[in-house]
Amino acid sequence: MSANLRFYVLLAGIILLLVIVQLLRKEKVFVKFSFLWFFSVILLALIALFPDIISFFRKLLGFETSSNMVIGIFIFTLLFITISLTIIVSGQKTKIQLLIQEVSILKQKIEEKDDK
Amino acid sequence: MKKSRVLIIIPAYNEEENILDVYKGIQNAKESDMFTYDTIIINDGSTDATKAICKENKIPCINLIHNLGIGGAVQTGYKYAYDNDYDIAVQFDGDGQHEVLSIVDVIQPIINDEADFVIGSRFIDKTKDNFQSSTARRAGIRLISWMIKLVTGKRIYDTTSGFRAGNKKVIEIFAQKYPVEYPEPITTTELLKKKYRIKEVFAQMHERTGGTSSIHTWKNVYYMVNIILSIFIVGIRGDK
Repeated sequence: MSANLRFYVLLAGIILLLVIVQLLRKEKVFVKFSFLWFFSVILLALIALFPDIISFFRKLLGFETSSNMVIGIFIFTLLFITISLTIIVSGQKTKIQLLIQEVSILKQKIEEKDDK
Repeated sequence: MKKSRVLIIIPAYNEEENILDVYKGIQNAKESDMFTYDTIIINDGSTDATKAICKENKIPCINLIHNLGIGGAVQTGYKYAYDNDYDIAVQFDGDGQHEVLSIVDVIQPIINDEADFVIGSRFIDKTKDNFQSSTARRAGIRLISWMIKLVTGKRIYDTTSGFRAGNKKVIEIFAQKYPVEYPEPITTTELLKKKYRIKEVFAQMHERTGGTSSIHTWKNVYYMVNIILSIFIVGIRGDK
């Protein structure tokens, strides 16, 4: 793995870390969901600091170059994060629906009482 | 024998032209020695005068504070039925498509304890003159019917009918869980899989008297793919 590639990976990791920490500080992101991204930061750091891991898996999995391997790992990580987000969004949709229904039924009850 | 308490759930989205007639129709058909009717309109966040019309005419109505779609609206009705301990719930469209006189036919099998869930069907009796909808739609309904047969082994003819009735057990199930999109075929499949007794009876249906249907042509492909996938998923889901 070239020194250049290691540098870029490390840089990406640092920027990502700073962005996430900043978002957490401003309370724009729940700690719970930041773990997804911290996982990516750790992955980036591992790749940059221990390139041997990449070389090992590159040979094992038959990737032609280390950079391909790195890109492959990223695509997979992003897929994982996107699926997690889809699950989160679906869960929220259910909760919002429940809220709308319960509030609307309650409102009807109150209005019914007022009419009497 | 104690009279069964029946709740008629009418989901309505922008039905200002139809809602009053539909409600009056039900009021006129009311009462029987077997059961008593109550009606509740679920106004799914209509942007027209539906809410005002209900208020003005003192029609019992739950106004959803935000549009939920047909599944969310109908489920609100089932929740209301569950909270208020109704024996039977009937889904009845707010657009004037369903015939009021057929309500009794849909309820009867539940009162006789022949079925847990009854579907009012356009297709069960070919001899009667009935509004049958377009060829494309009928083909779609047949495809869904075939898919349900594949998954559950049972044949349902009018898979997308929104004219349905359920007993107490079904009310409880639907109050807890009901699909948001295209709920009819999916809930039918779920009930069949859970071994509930479903009966299809003939119900008179008309062409819409006013307003526009919620089914658009350009959505049909998405509709079919969504339903077929949903039924398939119900099929491979473990029994819980």
